Amino acid sequence: MTGRLGQVDHRPSSLADTLERVLDKGVVIVGDIAVCVVDIELLTLRVRLFIASAQTAREMGMDWWTNDPFFTPGAVDGTTGMKELAEQNAELRDRVASLERVLTEGRP
Amino acid sequence: MSLGLYAYVITRDRPDSLAGFRSIAHRGLALVVAEVDLDRFTGLDLDEPTEDSRLAVLVREHDAVVRAVFQLEPVLPLRFGTVLDGADAAVRLLGARHEEALAWLDRVDGRREWGLRVRAAAPEPVDLRDVSGTAYLAQRRRRLTAAEDARRAASAVHRAMTSHAAESTCRDHAGDLLLEAAYLVDTGREADFHAEIHRLTGELGLPAEITGPWPPYSFTKLEFADA
Repeated sequence: MTGRLGQVDHRPSSLADTLERVLDKGVVIVGDIAVCVVDIELLTLRVRLFIASAQTAREMGMDWWTNDPFFTPGAVDGTTGMKELAEQNAELRDRVASLERVLTEGRP
Repeated sequence: MSLGLYAYVITRDRPDSLAGFRSIAHRGLALVVAEVDLDRFTGLDLDEPTEDSRLAVLVREHDAVVRAVFQLEPVLPLRFGTVLDGADAAVRLLGARHEEALAWLDRVDGRREWGLRVRAAAPEPVDLRDVSGTAYLAQRRRRLTAAEDARRAASAVHRAMTSHAAESTCRDHAGDLLLEAAYLVDTGREADFHAEIHRLTGELGLPAEITGPWPPYSFTKLEFADA
């Protein structure tokens, strides 16, 4: 039962899924009869952090702005961006320089 | 090397099924155990468990034993790292929580757990070069409405799947994850359950991931105290 079935992706149990179930679920025995060898509270906490970081930032919605052109104009088109900005910058420098020349020359 | 009695699952005492395991039986219940070297469990590096880390190996081992018993009998998996204070303690535990454990075993009998994750479809990229402010805001509103629709659709999927399952549970989720749920499904109803997931997510255009079958890890989250 693996592979893509239409839109549904059936995957083998990942480490993160297994850790989450084995460490965070199941019967907990409290009292004198059980000695937990590992500090399970600490383990669970760390594993939750791991699962959170194992999912990519995109899955966590941490980079919602990267697809939003309002915040990331370069995302509109992958070929624009730094190169265009540099060109635009150079053009503006030229225009400022020529305006400064005009001002200096125009002075009495 | 210090040895300890590591406990994996509570199950019914069926000597034929449990022939390949070490188990401690008491009044119709059995605890599947193994003598382990406790040093293996100390100083685990928890920060970023990779597939070959000690923690991952131990967790996979635990899962493998739970699954092996689960192939044969209903199980109540114990949480990772449970070590008992000897065989007498195991008998005391099974005696003290006898009725409760039997009731839980009946509850999970003939059922398997399936995980379901539904994500939001990736939004279409927007070309802003020739878009006016008004058009941008209209576009942004359409996207927000679409996100709200997707969340509602994911809730509808969960309601529908819950009706195909014996039990269900929903976890916290964030970001583009719209649903993170687990279902306990009668083995006889699994075909319907899966057909329904395919039909619904296809109809709603939501990408979905199924994991499983799992032993009923998410449905035995309980505490047994030593009475």
